[in-house]
Amino acid sequence: MLRERLVEALGEDAVKTAPEDLAVYGFDAYTEGGTPSAVVLPASTRDVAAIVKIARHCGEPIVARGAGTGLCGGAVPVAGGIVLCFARMNRLLELDDRNRRVRVEPGVINLDLSLAVGPRGLFYAPDPSSQRISTLGGNIATNAGGAHCLSYGTTVNHVLGLEIVDAAGDVFQTHVDEFGYDLTAAFVGSEGTLGIVTSAWLRLLALPESVNVAVAAFDDLDGASQAVSAILGAGILPTALEMMDAVITRAVEASFSAGYPTDAAAVLLVESAGFAEDVGAAEAAIHAIAIEHGAKSWRSARNQAERDALWAGRKSAAGATGRIAPNYYTQDVCVPRSKLPQALRAVEAAAAANGITVGNVFHAGDGNLHPLLMYDKRDRKQVAAVVETGNEILQTAIELGGTISGEHGIGWEKRDAMTRIYSTADLATMGRVRDVFDPVGALNPEKIFPSGLRCAEVTPP
Amino acid sequence: MRAAQDCVVPASERELAELVGRCDAAGDKIAVRGGATLSGMGFPAERADVTLITTKLTGMMANQASDLVAGALAGTVVSDIAVQLAREGQFLPLDAPRPQYATLGGTLAAGWRGPRRHRYGSSRDYFVGSTIVLADGTIARAGGMVSKNVAGYDMTRLYIGSFGTLGVLTRANFKTIPLPPHARLFLAPLPEGTRERACAQLAALGIAPAAAFAVDGFTHAIDGDEGAEGRILALLEGSEALVERATRELRSALGRAGVPETHVMDAGAREAFERVVDAYVATLGERSITYRLYPFPGEANRCASELQELAQRFGLRSETIVDVMNGDVVLRVSDLDAHALGSKIESFDDARHDVRPRAQVVAGDHPNRAFLRVWGAPPAAIERMRALKERFDPRRTLNPGCFVGGI
Repeated sequence: MLRERLVEALGEDAVKTAPEDLAVYGFDAYTEGGTPSAVVLPASTRDVAAIVKIARHCGEPIVARGAGTGLCGGAVPVAGGIVLCFARMNRLLELDDRNRRVRVEPGVINLDLSLAVGPRGLFYAPDPSSQRISTLGGNIATNAGGAHCLSYGTTVNHVLGLEIVDAAGDVFQTHVDEFGYDLTAAFVGSEGTLGIVTSAWLRLLALPESVNVAVAAFDDLDGASQAVSAILGAGILPTALEMMDAVITRAVEASFSAGYPTDAAAVLLVESAGFAEDVGAAEAAIHAIAIEHGAKSWRSARNQAERDALWAGRKSAAGATGRIAPNYYTQDVCVPRSKLPQALRAVEAAAAANGITVGNVFHAGDGNLHPLLMYDKRDRKQVAAVVETGNEILQTAIELGGTISGEHGIGWEKRDAMTRIYSTADLATMGRVRDVFDPVGALNPEKIFPSGLRCAEVTPP
Repeated sequence: MRAAQDCVVPASERELAELVGRCDAAGDKIAVRGGATLSGMGFPAERADVTLITTKLTGMMANQASDLVAGALAGTVVSDIAVQLAREGQFLPLDAPRPQYATLGGTLAAGWRGPRRHRYGSSRDYFVGSTIVLADGTIARAGGMVSKNVAGYDMTRLYIGSFGTLGVLTRANFKTIPLPPHARLFLAPLPEGTRERACAQLAALGIAPAAAFAVDGFTHAIDGDEGAEGRILALLEGSEALVERATRELRSALGRAGVPETHVMDAGAREAFERVVDAYVATLGERSITYRLYPFPGEANRCASELQELAQRFGLRSETIVDVMNGDVVLRVSDLDAHALGSKIESFDDARHDVRPRAQVVAGDHPNRAFLRVWGAPPAAIERMRALKERFDPRRTLNPGCFVGGI
């Protein structure tokens, strides 16, 4: 019945119900999966609206999916239903380079956008490490960050307007420049629970005149994290300020020869971009601060190729850990920057206490930690130890005044942790927004809101 | 319309929440007010039984400057926040008019967009956490005190620009950036036929000015001698070396545009810039109405000229500020007295709506302001916005009728 109606509306090749397809689309980058009733590949906004109406009629939930790189199970069809895959909606619709904006479909791959507009001297700033495969639709759903949030902000700072199909299958538009409630902001980061984005106006930036990328090596994590605080406290705002520990740099060098020192306990990757005068001054000042905080070496990339190699190593760091253990789990927490040294010590302690190898590769300038916990998922004891370590790190972040997700989202994985940072009243207020846009909870059910609180229960009378 | 009967100035968030909850239960309507610097925005409340003033909720919360995140209670005065941040070399670019009186909460609720936003981003780019009191008295927090946070919906940004109609903001947390160490202001009168070219040159500069305006009128309120086509003001900000280079670029750009004399000032540069922002909402008592429009930068001059010609047709005096970098146009129309303005302003508003529907009234004490399209044409998603209001404030307790579409 469901399949017939979908095929009738979209054609045979847009609807997949073979068991192997359902199995593939039941997972994202989180450890657990679900099984959808059907996978559908819309080619237009009209297709999406038609699918939503069919789903509604058949009582099926809908899970919109980007490239499945999300780490929190946000794209997992926990309650079954229809998975929407945007692989066919991957066109760049309009480029208004005069006003530095572009309209895209949700299936466009993040990096492809910057590659497309680069020849015009423009780029799209949010650059999650997954940018070679993750889609802009998925980035919008999770309010994705990246290495350059420090000066450019996250996805929400770069979305100007959205076209949305709501839970009833109706289409509407939002724009940040219109008077009225900022629905654009409400939808960015709502993880597919409020509506389905079918196109987006995004802000583009002018490519900087000058870029410097340098690597500072430290003998301990403490020195490196104190250097981070000192740089930011000195009124310098680099475009990126990333940290990697020895576990990570060794794995990265073994895999890619990116140019990182392997004899240091921690390295800082610092990028300054902007006008030549400022970039030069920032580099000199950061260099001095790094040395003052115990950096034992400092190396500036001499050309674009060296810069690209350093960045490629950084962005492939998680994959490189395959040399250490068959599996890894990435925790994603954000703490006040001044609490970085404490947070890192707590991560080390939690991993050591549970017998887990940890690698730290993260957005130090944002206070956004990504400890990678290495394990073998065939070993149940290791799995339990990883879960416990991840949990302790989460708790540490909360106690240090931080949050349970800096940029990956809540999804399925962390929804029960929401009660650790928000009161029932706080969650119920978010629930009011959900009530308006998806009153029956058909869009990506079982996400964001804690499992103990069904939607009706988080909603005040 | 009914005048507010009682003014209440709660001293704490709890007291404020109790008051709001009580009013909601009793069916009393609340007008929410901060420093009243943007009281010329929005429709007048349909009814206001209580005026709730947030000015006693003051104070800032911060850990360390290197956190680049701080918080403030909603009644904190914007210039106090600026002074406190500047002590740590930090900066929050709100660009609120009359910042000595403007409160943080009011500035956010009004969704104020400053002229430096093309360079530093607007307020929605900085705010990462909030506390709000809902109409039923619920205190709800969202976000946090860290720079990146994707735990749950972005309620804080939803409240920014909501005009106090979803709840009363009591606290907001924000990111900060390093305060640009140097500022320099350029002032030049525009000779006949140079305005368009000067604006184009400014917009195309390699080092974009932090703000640039073409001003026509606003004598006394804004510095500088008028040329035949008004005057130009440009604010450069950044490191000393960058400002020096930007100065050379700007000089030759103005030269190419045929703008000969330039007055340059370092001392008082930011104060002169603030006087322009103040002028956005400066009224001539009941004799004036000020509109703000948001065309793309390339269209701004044409938009300003169109509106000036239109005002002239109605026998209204017009003054304009064109924000060269963002494209905003501020238009103040006035007449000899309130009566004369009142006889024309509604038909002018109709004609203005026909040519430029996306316009906002930002200032004006004339009673007929209530009959103008103060929010311009309703947004595309107005019905969904109404539904949101209904879910947050079903009894229409907070600022009833003030917002877009009479929300």
